[in-house]
Amino acid sequence: MTRYITHRLLLLPLLLLVYSFVIFVIIQAPPGDFLTSYVATLSASGTSISAEQIQALRHQYGLDQPFVVQYLYWLRELLHGNFGLSLEYRRPNADLIGEQLGLTVALAVMSFVLTWIIAVPAGIYSATHQRSVVDHVLTVINYIGVATPNFMLALILMWIAFAYFGISITGLYSPEYTDAPWSMAKFVNLLEHIWLPALVIGIAGTARLTRIMRANLLDELNKPYVVTARAKGLREWRLVLRYPARLALNPLVSTIGWYLPQLFSGSLIVATVMNLPNIGPLLLRALINQDMYLAGAILLIYSFLTIVGTLLSDIALAMMDPRIRMGM
Amino acid sequence: MSRLAQVAALSAFLFAVFAFQAGAQSKFHEAPALAEQVKAGKLPPVEQRLPEQPLVVPVVEKIGEYGGIWRRAFLGPADANNYVRVVYDGLFRFTPDGADIEPKIALGAKASADYKIWTIQLRKGARWSDGEAFTVDDILFWYSNVLLNKDLMPTLPSWTRNSDGSAMKVEKLDDYTVQFTYDRPATLFLSEIANQDGPDQTLAMFLPAHYLKRFHPAFAPKDELDRMAQAASFKSWTELFNAKAAPAQDPDRPTMAAWIPITRVSDQVFTLKRNPFYIGVDKEGNQLPYIDELRFTYFADQQALNLAAIAGDFDMQERHIQMTNYPVLKEQEKNGKYRVIIWPTFGGSDAVIAFNSTYTADPAIGKLLATKEFRIALSYAINRDEIKESVFLGLGEARQPVAAPWHPYFPGKEWATKYTEFDRNKANQILDALGLIKRDPQGIRLMENGKPATIEISVVPAFGAWPDVAQLVAKDWGAVGIRTIVQIRERALHFSMRTSNQLMTEIWNEDTTAFPFTGGSKFDPRNGPLQQLTVGPLYYRWLTSGGKEGVEPPEPQKRITQLVDAARSTGRDGQIKAAQELYRIWADDVYEIGTIGLTPMVQGVVVINSKMHNVPTTLGNDWPLRSPGNARTEQFFFAK
Repeated sequence: MTRYITHRLLLLPLLLLVYSFVIFVIIQAPPGDFLTSYVATLSASGTSISAEQIQALRHQYGLDQPFVVQYLYWLRELLHGNFGLSLEYRRPNADLIGEQLGLTVALAVMSFVLTWIIAVPAGIYSATHQRSVVDHVLTVINYIGVATPNFMLALILMWIAFAYFGISITGLYSPEYTDAPWSMAKFVNLLEHIWLPALVIGIAGTARLTRIMRANLLDELNKPYVVTARAKGLREWRLVLRYPARLALNPLVSTIGWYLPQLFSGSLIVATVMNLPNIGPLLLRALINQDMYLAGAILLIYSFLTIVGTLLSDIALAMMDPRIRMGM
Repeated sequence: MSRLAQVAALSAFLFAVFAFQAGAQSKFHEAPALAEQVKAGKLPPVEQRLPEQPLVVPVVEKIGEYGGIWRRAFLGPADANNYVRVVYDGLFRFTPDGADIEPKIALGAKASADYKIWTIQLRKGARWSDGEAFTVDDILFWYSNVLLNKDLMPTLPSWTRNSDGSAMKVEKLDDYTVQFTYDRPATLFLSEIANQDGPDQTLAMFLPAHYLKRFHPAFAPKDELDRMAQAASFKSWTELFNAKAAPAQDPDRPTMAAWIPITRVSDQVFTLKRNPFYIGVDKEGNQLPYIDELRFTYFADQQALNLAAIAGDFDMQERHIQMTNYPVLKEQEKNGKYRVIIWPTFGGSDAVIAFNSTYTADPAIGKLLATKEFRIALSYAINRDEIKESVFLGLGEARQPVAAPWHPYFPGKEWATKYTEFDRNKANQILDALGLIKRDPQGIRLMENGKPATIEISVVPAFGAWPDVAQLVAKDWGAVGIRTIVQIRERALHFSMRTSNQLMTEIWNEDTTAFPFTGGSKFDPRNGPLQQLTVGPLYYRWLTSGGKEGVEPPEPQKRITQLVDAARSTGRDGQIKAAQELYRIWADDVYEIGTIGLTPMVQGVVVINSKMHNVPTTLGNDWPLRSPGNARTEQFFFAK
């Protein structure tokens, strides 16, 4: 087991090196470079910039260097623990990502918690009251939840909030708190705003989890140990929560490992549509504008988390299943 | 609309007016927050903060009240021009109607009789936002250490060049008088410096020397600079210097504008607060600006920004508001939160189809695109009324991309509407006469190589409605036997294809028609495909390589370059004549087919908080005018 983990950890730097190259190639693949995008952005707002000025900027930013030189420069900085400078923001990438990190994680944890708080009880209720009216209603809601893209849901909610309540529900704070220092009032304001985007982001997951919970629990409920326990006179809700529900949760727990990279990237389109200050829009924007060092930094962290997440779920699986453990 | 005056004479006149008015002032007033700071001893009194002759700003409706926060929205650091346009921090600025240039930070300017020497007078006692004196040294610092520094400025901007390509001379006559000497007549000098306010990652022509010296190798030790650059992840001192000299990137950098940044353009909210040393007052002596604070909220998405605008989240916003939302905004206007006005574009056409006369990828198509009669036929084939009604909400008028009727550069109605009537028969006749007679079974005309004539329109959904225009044009051209394919492209791809001569035609808008000689004129073939539309990328290569590469431009295009050069060294009347001739050529030769113009498509739908006043109902709306900056934003105010 230890050997297996060490082996996997040793592979990590090599994988990251390969990923860094692949990421750089993909970011550079679209035609043009950051300055082409910049020229396009300026033109789309009624401005133009001279060829000489672009040439000067291209030289200043090192974009006139060959591809390999640019990659090696980036790699050298990375090896020194430096994520480089964002071409668009003119600030270190580490700062930009760091600034968004807190809210990104807060939003992800919030949507994660909401997902579980709703999905597990709903799943249990559906399973124990199979084919009841509430079960059917929940099933319909779940199908809609799985089938509706969450950015669509965000747009609909935004329109309803505006059309019927006259408010715009973009952002995570009221305007007066956006750049205020942290205070109790700001925290409360954040809580007032964060639940809706968290719900929107979590809704598809909630629906899926509810279905899985329901199916798993239905399998367990017919098993002899449940019948035995019931025959012995255990109270119904106590019985369900103590034994079959715990077992039904197992497959859900094993998916937590996958959640790690998602925690970081957030929900890109929803966050963009709802104007949430997290890493999603930062990444989208960096990709559109070909701000390659910023996009590269975010994607590299994302890759790292994916590798670690996979490793964690592999370890969890190995611990649970002797067949995998023995095979190592 | 007032006539364009001889600018130099105007400045001298204004100089006299200001001197008179300043003399009449005995007492100045200030914002309550500043008065408190004066009382607490943190600020000198208002009389000492203002220059001896302050800028007296006329108000649109009435004398304002102090206070309030002006909420706006922006789309991130690449949208820094949003800030540039609102504060318009220039030595001179364009007037609201866009017809004249008025002194702002400077007191006035005077040209020699031959326009080779320009003298700019500064305001005695004017101060940077940190309280340091603003003098000629701040312009000389820019001249000696930025303009003439090869690392910061590898190539000189064209307005600073003598006829031999060297830089003009800048000399200090005294602390408040600076002289610019060219070896050629520089008649467009004031128009140029009215735009030297630090747009698009460039630096303004006046810089706070006392602050920036510590970031420049002429004053600071090299190793110290390297250390600072490294600490900020910059590769070189030039990156450090450029970041420190840009007000939107460094809140510590003093400015002369009415509001000064206290956060950065890369933050979620880019906040500006009033400049206690701003040089402007109203006619009752109240120091401007009236509004305390400006807040630009970051939006990752233009649609979300528009939804917030409809909800009334901004106090005055025209940038990024899509014209397609005009009816919704008008509908919501009834709720009383805001009013909506429109500022039509300052001439030109809001959707033109530019033809690449040097297209080489398909010689048969290239030949057609370069044929003037072919372009004329396609212009007649377009039903502009339909485009106007269905895409432009019935606003604007059918016109070619030339100056507006109210502008002196207007070439005449005949040229503005040339080839714009909808006449399918005429179009068919011309195409038949060109030898495009045979047709394939679908009715598409066959070219001389026997292939069906197929044209591609490349279009970017930049201002919203262009893909719709393209579809209507494609239908109209199909009806006269020219198959037309609409390619909606991602903007960066479109731009790199334009630069590499791969576009057949494209739809964009043709603006800046009041500025065919200055800045990056879209009519001068020497400015190339970064600034021009795709009218002939290979002409640019020929002109910039001295005839070694590319395609030799035809006579009319060469004539345009002569007109531009002539205008740079002649007086106002000569410029007007040159511009009119230029637009006649442009319309005659239809390098671009104009569709509809003078609509509020480009940042012309303005949403204004009902409580905000002094916003003019008409305004010259164009990038060189820095609208809404030319509306003199410092006199906007909120009624209590």
